[in-house]
Amino acid sequence: MSPRVSTCSRTARAVCLAALGTALLGAACAKKGPKGLPEVVAFHRATLPATAADPAWNDVAAYTAALVPQDMVEPRLMRSSTPLVRVQSLTDGERIVFRLSWADSSQDNLPGAARFTDACAVQLPAEHGPDVPAPQMGEKNRPVEISYWNAGWQSKADGRPDSIQALYPNAHVDHYPFEAAPLGKGTPEQLAMAKRYSPARAVNRNEHPADRPVQDLIAEGPGTITPAPETRSQGNGRWSANAWNVVIARPLPAAMRAAKRSQVAFAVWKGERQEVGARKMRSVWLPLSLEAQP
Amino acid sequence: MARVRNWQLGREMSYWYPEARPKRQFAAVFDTNKCIACQTCTLACKTTWTSGRGQETMLWNNVESKPYGFYPLGWDVKLLDKLGGGNWSPGRYDGHTIFEAAQAGERVLGWRPDEQDYAYPNVGEDDSTSETDLFHGAFMSLPHVRWFFYLARICNHCSFPACGASCPRGSIYKRPEDGIVLVDQERCRGYQECVKACPYKKVFFNPITGTSEKCIGCFPKIETGVQPQCFVNCIGKIRNAGFVSLPELAREDNPIDYLVHVRKVALPLYPQFGLEPNVYYIPPRHVPLVFLRQMFGPGVDKAIETYENAADDPDLAGLLSLFGSTEHIMHRWKRSGDKIFGYDEKGVELVSVPMKEPIHVRAAFDVEHGVVRTNCP
Repeated sequence: MSPRVSTCSRTARAVCLAALGTALLGAACAKKGPKGLPEVVAFHRATLPATAADPAWNDVAAYTAALVPQDMVEPRLMRSSTPLVRVQSLTDGERIVFRLSWADSSQDNLPGAARFTDACAVQLPAEHGPDVPAPQMGEKNRPVEISYWNAGWQSKADGRPDSIQALYPNAHVDHYPFEAAPLGKGTPEQLAMAKRYSPARAVNRNEHPADRPVQDLIAEGPGTITPAPETRSQGNGRWSANAWNVVIARPLPAAMRAAKRSQVAFAVWKGERQEVGARKMRSVWLPLSLEAQP
Repeated sequence: MARVRNWQLGREMSYWYPEARPKRQFAAVFDTNKCIACQTCTLACKTTWTSGRGQETMLWNNVESKPYGFYPLGWDVKLLDKLGGGNWSPGRYDGHTIFEAAQAGERVLGWRPDEQDYAYPNVGEDDSTSETDLFHGAFMSLPHVRWFFYLARICNHCSFPACGASCPRGSIYKRPEDGIVLVDQERCRGYQECVKACPYKKVFFNPITGTSEKCIGCFPKIETGVQPQCFVNCIGKIRNAGFVSLPELAREDNPIDYLVHVRKVALPLYPQFGLEPNVYYIPPRHVPLVFLRQMFGPGVDKAIETYENAADDPDLAGLLSLFGSTEHIMHRWKRSGDKIFGYDEKGVELVSVPMKEPIHVRAAFDVEHGVVRTNCP
């Protein structure tokens, strides 16, 4: 955790970074918004935009978060990639939504051998207080809550079929035993047999909810991340003009609402650089304040 | 990193986790001299385990020709190139293992095959080397001047699995009851670190489920005392499954221990990688030793000599003829005169085979039915 620095120099640095971030993002920014913020601020709005493209975001001031490579546990990220993520935030008092925007020259949203999809995540401490757990995924007995969005899940939510042909259009499979005609398509026996051929699905491994490309997770330190009992976050992302724009909305913790302040951290994965899991760019804990409800 | 003892290397080595041996270790012996690459083992495994969505290109068992065959492409030569050479002094490997040679930021020295590398499982099949032309008796000497051989491979259920070491989430574990290595399908998040780390490339990513999958050693069968699918379906009867002991605890009456520790005729695959793999190969006797030493270690010379002498070695010949004789795992074996017996864990006889199959001569003309028994009169 870094010591508090004077607001003055932090503002100056933030403005520089914001300008740099804006320049990097180029056409991805619909308009040049208000001047960069010194910290992440969740402005109050009565209704929250559901997509990153919603014009409601155009006049929301942004914070530009610097990202550092994960270098605390092997496998470490040895080569920095995405340097910045531009963050805007809104809250209606019940939920808080983050809009993340970062430069990425290639859209990677298909899984495969040695193929990794672009992704991002928002991390909040599970308990709100003046100090926070270790910045990288918390620590034992001091959990963090992570809302994770994945471009591969996004492409499925956008309609990519759950088949090998969706990944390899010319793939030909002569026979799946669980699709033998005598079984009767869609019957309980047929579905049960299909599940037996897919152990990962048979164990109900809490894949991301089928209806959304976001998953809620809990972690108490590197390597411990586990799906939360249920996913209450929503989110979606779009890639255009060499940038990803993603919104992640989650319930606003009551303690945070009361305190009006917390800390938040972000992570970004660039699939083209084989970033996945521990190989990621992440931010430090960033101050987060909630604008008072008018 | 911890320090563990790897008996195949004759020394301590670095590994991510401390040494934790299972109660017993699933192991196998494959006799490469008998493999005909009929691929029945491959079919047996695929029919049983990898006929699901996302598993289309997975071959948990595969049979490739050496030297020019690979699945995935270049799996061994690419790693040997990255690792560099290493020397053996008597009974000890002096080079680096893939754990000791890990680059900065990595746990294991590895590389990621891409999807194309899995697309050519039959590359190099039956392609022989060609130092000289075939027609002037090149096949009449041993080793053959022009050669190839078949290498059947499954997961080696290593004592020090690189896949297990590489997973940042601990989603891969070695069963304490039998040492079989498994990917926890509930915990895996598809990072593919294991795919990168396994030197034998026997973990595969399933793009439909988003998890990595691998040979499970047919553990449901092992738990009931029977051998895996690829073993019991083997036409050539080249395989035998059982449990291997540490060298100091080796039992002569344990089939695997006898071949691996007592007679040293079955050798590990690329022991220099440092994983202490538990599938042991009787090396192909027709292949030049200089090639085989890199693949099986310096014990090949002696192993082939012992194997070639099997005709005068009734114990060895007898045990080898037990291969493929029973679906059950033979915990103990014994030769008694001209019969060889295999026993289960409780000492109950599973099977007996004769040293020589009895010969029956059938007359060319069947008097009872009034027909000639041969095709051409």
